[in-house]
Amino acid sequence: MAIGRGGATTAVLAALLLAACGREARDIGPSLGETPPRGGSDPRIPYYQDNVYQVAQGGRYFGWYGCVACHVEGAVGVRDLGDGRWQHGGGFDQVYAAIARRHGALNYAARIPAEPLWQLTAYVRDLPQHTPEKRRRLAIDQVGEPHGRSWSGPVR
Amino acid sequence: MPTAGLLLAGCAGPQSALDPGGDQAHALFSLFGLMLWVSGAIYAVVLAGLGWALWRAWRRRGTDARRDATLVGGVDARLDRTLPVVAGAIVLGLTVLITGSFFADRALFATRAAPALEVRVTGHQWWWRVQYRDRVSDGWIETANELHLPQGVTVRLVLNSADVIHSFWVPNVAGKLDMVPGRTNRLDVTARRPGWYRGQCAEFCGTQHAHMAFAVKVEPPAAFRAWLAAQAAPAAPAEGRGAAAFQATCAACHAIRGAGAAGRAGPDLTHVAARRTLAAGALTMTRGNLQGWIAQPKAIKPGTSMPAIPLTPADADAVATYLATLR
Repeated sequence: MAIGRGGATTAVLAALLLAACGREARDIGPSLGETPPRGGSDPRIPYYQDNVYQVAQGGRYFGWYGCVACHVEGAVGVRDLGDGRWQHGGGFDQVYAAIARRHGALNYAARIPAEPLWQLTAYVRDLPQHTPEKRRRLAIDQVGEPHGRSWSGPVR
Repeated sequence: MPTAGLLLAGCAGPQSALDPGGDQAHALFSLFGLMLWVSGAIYAVVLAGLGWALWRAWRRRGTDARRDATLVGGVDARLDRTLPVVAGAIVLGLTVLITGSFFADRALFATRAAPALEVRVTGHQWWWRVQYRDRVSDGWIETANELHLPQGVTVRLVLNSADVIHSFWVPNVAGKLDMVPGRTNRLDVTARRPGWYRGQCAEFCGTQHAHMAFAVKVEPPAAFRAWLAAQAAPAAPAEGRGAAAFQATCAACHAIRGAGAAGRAGPDLTHVAARRTLAAGALTMTRGNLQGWIAQPKAIKPGTSMPAIPLTPADADAVATYLATLR
């Protein structure tokens, strides 16, 4: 079947315009991340890493679980998560394992369920791509959110 | 009559602006009544004029309009006389409405100058954090998804949002007011009629906006003080299997004062079983609903930030039993 040039252009434009919608998709079915990732090619990884909503949820848990207490803005060395250097490897499964198993007595593997760990991992792996403007924007967005054991209210 | 009865039955109830139980709701209800009568009268006059014109045209069908006796030099003299009267009546009606609105506004803010009992209400996706000032420690007594108001006393609600725009609305007590991130809005309410009412978020705030409700109880001041004293008291020290499982996981986000749990991300659970509802009005408070909510929160409120915690059945049972004792 022949499609006119105009039709093809419209289809390409529509595909380009709608392509961004999928990045925000919220899935209300049963959660996919009920078990840790199986290796670096687990098919669930793109579902979390490429979805803006899942990454943003990770950012909220990052504050709620108190991660910001150590990984603050301006932290140096291993606590600086935005420098793109991963001591235990930057693969999704490696970062997941580092969060869950390499925090000593905090024992996040037992304290944080699997789905928030998936989202936290996606968020943390997203951090090196954040521009200063985006970091500032996120800080403003989350000023009213609880941080670990403290919540002072949205208006200072 | 039965039809009218059925129609009016929808006006009463625990979530209705047409069944006011407080001063501010009364002011708004009076304004609504005034608007209904004035607009109703204008509507009736306009429709009567239209009907009369149709009837006149039907009666004179077949006659030549140019020979109409009322037309003098192409001008309808009667229309010339009546049009200013009609326009004047409309302007008068609108003036009555504006005056009514002015006085209703003044009534809503009449209590603003006097000091009042402050209660902080903060909107979260998708629940309400409620804090009362503790006169003893000067701190805050925190609860969630339930607001108690002393009867006949003005309460100043200090409204904030932690994430997106929500809107605070208990139609039986007062009008709605938005909760805007980074801003503090204040709403004075003086509840008069004791009983249970329902509040609801009135600004779309995400997937579970519809399940962001809360229970409101208006009670005599003595009963209110007793309730607040009970809320201020810490829970019993944690012991047993349920408390241990709670400490290991739930305590990261939930607080139980007196039992060592101090997370602030989720609702304070110090006296959770004393509340009327669970999950921001989504469920009634029962031991079974507690366990169901813990087992699969996303099945009850898809999109909620409360994750399902992989507890063994025995632990889930123990946690729900423990929470049901927190009265």
